[in-house]
Formats: sequence, C-alpha cells, structure tokens
Amino acid sequence: MSYTFDWSVLWTGQSGHWLLQGLLTTLNISALAWTLAAALGIVSGALRTVAFKPLAALAAFYVEFFRNVPLLVWMFFWYFAVPPMLPRPVQDWLYVHGVEFLAGMFALGIYHGARFSETIRSGIQSIPKTQFEAALSTGLTTAQTYRLVIVPIALRLIIPPATNESLNLLKNSSVALTISVAELTFQTRQIEAYTAKAFEALTAGTLIYLVLCLTIAAIMARVERRVAIPGMIARVSPAEH
Amino acid sequence: MKPLMRLVMTFAVVLAVAVSAHAETTLEKVSRTGVLTIGTRTGSPPFAFINKQNEWVGFSIDLVEQAIAPVLSRKIGQPIKVEKKESAHATRIPLLTSNAVDLIAETMTDTRPRRESVDFSLTFFVTGAQFLVKKGSPIKSIKGIAGKRVAAQQGSTNARIVRETVPKAILREFPDQPAAFQALAQGQVDTYTNDGIQLAGLKAKAPNPNEWQIVGDFYSYEPYGMAMRKNESDFRHLVNVGLMEAIESGKYFELYDKWFGPKGNSKPGLLPVWLLPKASRLAPLF
Repeated sequence: MSYTFDWSVLWTGQSGHWLLQGLLTTLNISALAWTLAAALGIVSGALRTVAFKPLAALAAFYVEFFRNVPLLVWMFFWYFAVPPMLPRPVQDWLYVHGVEFLAGMFALGIYHGARFSETIRSGIQSIPKTQFEAALSTGLTTAQTYRLVIVPIALRLIIPPATNESLNLLKNSSVALTISVAELTFQTRQIEAYTAKAFEALTAGTLIYLVLCLTIAAIMARVERRVAIPGMIARVSPAEH
Repeated sequence: MKPLMRLVMTFAVVLAVAVSAHAETTLEKVSRTGVLTIGTRTGSPPFAFINKQNEWVGFSIDLVEQAIAPVLSRKIGQPIKVEKKESAHATRIPLLTSNAVDLIAETMTDTRPRRESVDFSLTFFVTGAQFLVKKGSPIKSIKGIAGKRVAAQQGSTNARIVRETVPKAILREFPDQPAAFQALAQGQVDTYTNDGIQLAGLKAKAPNPNEWQIVGDFYSYEPYGMAMRKNESDFRHLVNVGLMEAIESGKYFELYDKWFGPKGNSKPGLLPVWLLPKASRLAPLF
C-alpha cells in the first residue's frame, strides 16, 4: 500500500484538544439522550403491558413510529423540520443556543426510547403472572404494583439487553455529525481535514469508542451483580465480564 | 498462549499477502479491468452533481470522460469505461489509498498536507472562498462574520481558514452541500461559505436564485486538482497529458463554456495560471 503512517499527527497540533472536546460532546449528548430514552422507555414499555387499551395503543404507536424510521431521518427531522414549526422568538432563541445539540439529543433519545421500550416490555412480560397477582392480593393498586414490584424486577432482568442498547446509543451519537454536532467522529474527521491522515484519525476514534463501550459494559456488569435479588433469577453461573 | 500466537501469525501472513496484492500499479489495474474508477461528488454543481434527469454529470466528470479517458485508452490500446463512486472530504484519501478508486475528480483543493498523502494533477480550475447570504443580509465579507453562525463543509479548506482567522465566528460544519444550504435557507445559520464557483452553482440551482447573493472578495486561494495515489508518475503523466491535450484542442474550453458559460449555470471563476496564455479564447465569456 502506498500509504505512509504518521501517528504523530494525533499528539501534535490541536489534535489532542479536538479529540478531548469531541469525547466530552459525545458523552454529554449520550448521557442526556440516555436519560430521556430510559424515561420514555420505562413509561411506554410499562404502558404496553397494561390492560387499559388506549394507553397500550398509544405506547405501541410511539414504539412502532419511532423505531421504524432511520435515525438519520430523525436527525434531519428534529433539526430541519421542528424549529420552523415553533413561534419565531423560540426559533431565534434556539438558533443562537445550540439548536443542533438539542435536535441531536431529542432525535437520539426519542429513537432509542422506542427501542428501550421493547426491552422493558420483554422484561415485564417475562415476569410470571402470579407475581403480579400476588402483589395485587397484598392490597397494592395496579400503579403501585408496577412501580414497586414489576418494574424493579423487570429492570434487573433486562440489564444485559439494556447494556446493548446503551452502547448502541453511544455509538449512534456519531450520526449527529450530519447536523453539525462536533462530537467524537466529527473531530476525527477534523484531524483528517487538517493533516490528510485519515487512517490515523479513524484509528484514534475507534480506540476511544472501544474504551468507552468496554467501560460502560464493565460498569453495567457490576451493577447487575450489585442489584441482583438473591434467589430471584436462575443462573448457571455468576454473571461475569 | 500457543493458539493465540498462531492466530496472530495467520493474521500477519494474510495481511502481508493482501499488501503484496496491492502492489499492482494503477495503470496495470486499468488495463487489466478496462475500468477507470473515479471518486466524485453528487452535490457539488457544476463540477459533479446529479441533474434533474437523474444523471451524474459535471465539469470534472466531463474532463475525465472526454479528456483523460481517451488518453488512457490510447496508451493501453483498449477502450476503457469510467465508473463513478461517491466521495466526500473525509473519505477521498482513504478511497484512493485503499484502491477503491483510481482518481478523485471533483472539487478537491490541492494543498500541502494533502500532497503528503496523495499526488495531484495539474490545476484544472482556480477559485476562492466567498459567502452565500440571503439578499439584504448585513454580512458583506469575511470581516462581518464575527459572532455570526457560519455554515461550511466539514473538512474543507474554507472551514479551516474561518476557524483560524475569525475565531469569534460560530462555525457549523455539514457533511454535504445540500444540508448546509438547507440550514441557510431556514435560518439555522446566517451564511454559508464555500468556494465561490460552488456557491454560484448552488445559487443557480436554488428554487429561487434571486433570493440569494454571493458576497465578499475571495478570502482563500483554491486550486482544484485531480488526486491520485502517490508515486505513480506514469499514471499522473497520462492524466496531465489528457488535461493538456484538452486545452490545446479546445475541448477544455468547449466544456468550460458548457458548464460556466452563458448557456451553463454558473458564472466563470479564475483560471489556473498555466492556462493564461490561452485565456484569450475565453474573452467572450468574461
């Protein structure tokens, strides 16, 4: 291959500063979007299992509508289509205060919320019906049963797939570069633009994503062991990572 | 540890074979396959874009198909086909070095950092960066963009200059021209900066060209060249011969007229210095 590698581009000039900025933006947008996604996912996932049909239908609509349209389209939707629908003063405020970050966060959070929702629903549906009935028979209302018994157990059950989803969210935050959010992938391209060294810049980005994801996976595995209810879930061997 | 070592060794061998397979030169590849693959753009009128008839056309593409390909096929003694692939700022150098394309023919500025990774043909067009604004905008030149939201193309030379010379400008970088223009049209940004000739192409293609204005003097120097893999002087020579023969035969000016002349859709830009002796032929255009 007629390409000479020059790794020094990663620590000379402003590269380090850019990568750090990109990393912070990625973490920032992912953390906010994750919070939004988790909240939406838990509420809509629980609603899909309730007996009251209109609420279940509303939740089903949310899930199917948002998860079946590509994330890129949602990015453009929140960035290009939503602001013009708002009143003029709100628009002006948004344009000055980082509309791309907010649009990216909503796109990511709402899209992944729909996917989280399915994870939560599968968790809830894997809980035996008797558990639900037992909770009701102790005098709890349906809402209390969900809040105090069903959802806490479901959240424990779904830690592995939820970890998966969270890692996806983190990696999907790179799609926000299409609406000019200067996150990690954007910054690796920036290094490429200044130095014409694409492979080095991409490798740096890859390693940072890898380390981030492995860290999150490790934390989630620890959380899983910490919050496990002894005797609740059958395991072949203790969870490990 | 043994199985791991074996895996590593296998990997190394596979890699070595892969690398040696890449030793084929561009010219050998073109004569073996009969195909010249170019990396070009879909949204940079009038150099390379998809037109209303859904055809992938433009000045840079015409130069390859009508000036460079004939010279190549004469050299290797067989007809060759030009295949087009989409390239972007971040992908064009990797596309070349990974052998996915043989030539970048779009709007690539010949710069010194890029020359460390790829080789360039003769300059076939020269332009400079300006600003596209809505008519009546207070922005008149690069002096007026401090504190304003400025859209640019990700990884472009103009974005870099704006960042370095006007750090107070709020730079918003988009991967392609249509997204940046959309942001300008809706007011997410106050202006869009790019090479003047590309702005002219964009303006001409806009639904309502009179709404838009190109302002400011050139604040950068952007010589466009075609990029290819490094250290292949035989191939580069043929590309240059293609360009030079097109100048001498008048083909270049015919194409220039087609894309930038009165019947084309953009106003002419500057000319490469080495073209100046021939510039009298362009007199009716200016």
